[in-house]
Amino acid sequence: MLSERERERYKRQMMLFGDEGQERLKKAHIFIAGAGGLGSPIAIYLAVAGVGTLTIVDMDVVDRSNLNRQILHFDTDTGKKKTVSAEEKLRALNSDIIVNAIDEEIGGANASRLVGRADGIVDAMDNFPTRYLLNEVALEKKIPLFHGAIRGFHGQATTILPGKTPCFRCIFPKAPPKEAFPVVGTTPGIIGTVQANEVLKYLLGRGNLLTGRLFVWDGLESRADEICVEADPCCISCGTSKTP
Amino acid sequence: MSVKIRFFARFRELLGTDVIAEFAPGTSLTGLIKQVAGKNKEGYDAIFDENGTFREFVILMRNTKRVDPAESGNIMVTDGDEIAVFPPVAGG
Repeated sequence: MLSERERERYKRQMMLFGDEGQERLKKAHIFIAGAGGLGSPIAIYLAVAGVGTLTIVDMDVVDRSNLNRQILHFDTDTGKKKTVSAEEKLRALNSDIIVNAIDEEIGGANASRLVGRADGIVDAMDNFPTRYLLNEVALEKKIPLFHGAIRGFHGQATTILPGKTPCFRCIFPKAPPKEAFPVVGTTPGIIGTVQANEVLKYLLGRGNLLTGRLFVWDGLESRADEICVEADPCCISCGTSKTP
Repeated sequence: MSVKIRFFARFRELLGTDVIAEFAPGTSLTGLIKQVAGKNKEGYDAIFDENGTFREFVILMRNTKRVDPAESGNIMVTDGDEIAVFPPVAGG
């Protein structure tokens, strides 16, 4: 049931999907892996849309060099734990949702526990090893993984539905080299918003998801392309012909 | 005979967006990309390692179908092919 305050808050989007859609968002629990460049716009847009429970995990401390893009964190948050800063801002944005901010490093020993019974995982990571781990958790729990990644003016996004689409490892069997990547804030702003939009569409059951498609954004050309991606039957994570 | 090569992300910055390349019959996919990337050392080095092998993370597509870079030396390019060369990005 939506309160009078919630009805007022979500009035303009309920024109699109009514009570039924808003209730779906309210009942949902979304796990956001990372409160940085991607995590910030993702968390902000899911919070203001009224996704009922957000769990956001990050182990980092706000650094001045984060501030060009990590818009959940302000000048005055430098030195603070990102989870503390994120929780404060998200609660201020929307006091009608539940925000769990967890200060832990996502690893093999805790990833499944951290995700818990969330309805979906949003990849707001900055490295491939943890992305592969999130992929395994999504496959194990049979929940969607909303992938996004950026570098400079370029970004990519796709939505992974275990058993229905290629998994993350089908698409990216090998990781690019680790680096201190260049980034301007608009790039994770755009890709993070695309990911948040995918989450909303999935929860609402509306539109067509980026399934089997890699959305490729070129911010220098302001052009989006699409690369079709297919499941790999020999994929070591999800392949039907992999050795058990 | 010609093909279109679409580079993405960093490869695009170094080598251009949609490159139309002429090629001789019997040119392999690897040979074609080396021919085009060879015009810019930084672009070449971004795609190929010191042994002239595709870097393992490079994604190659030919006419929207994924190609294993390890096999691309055995695939002959045909007139009108559209090739995509894509480096996944990892930041967030």
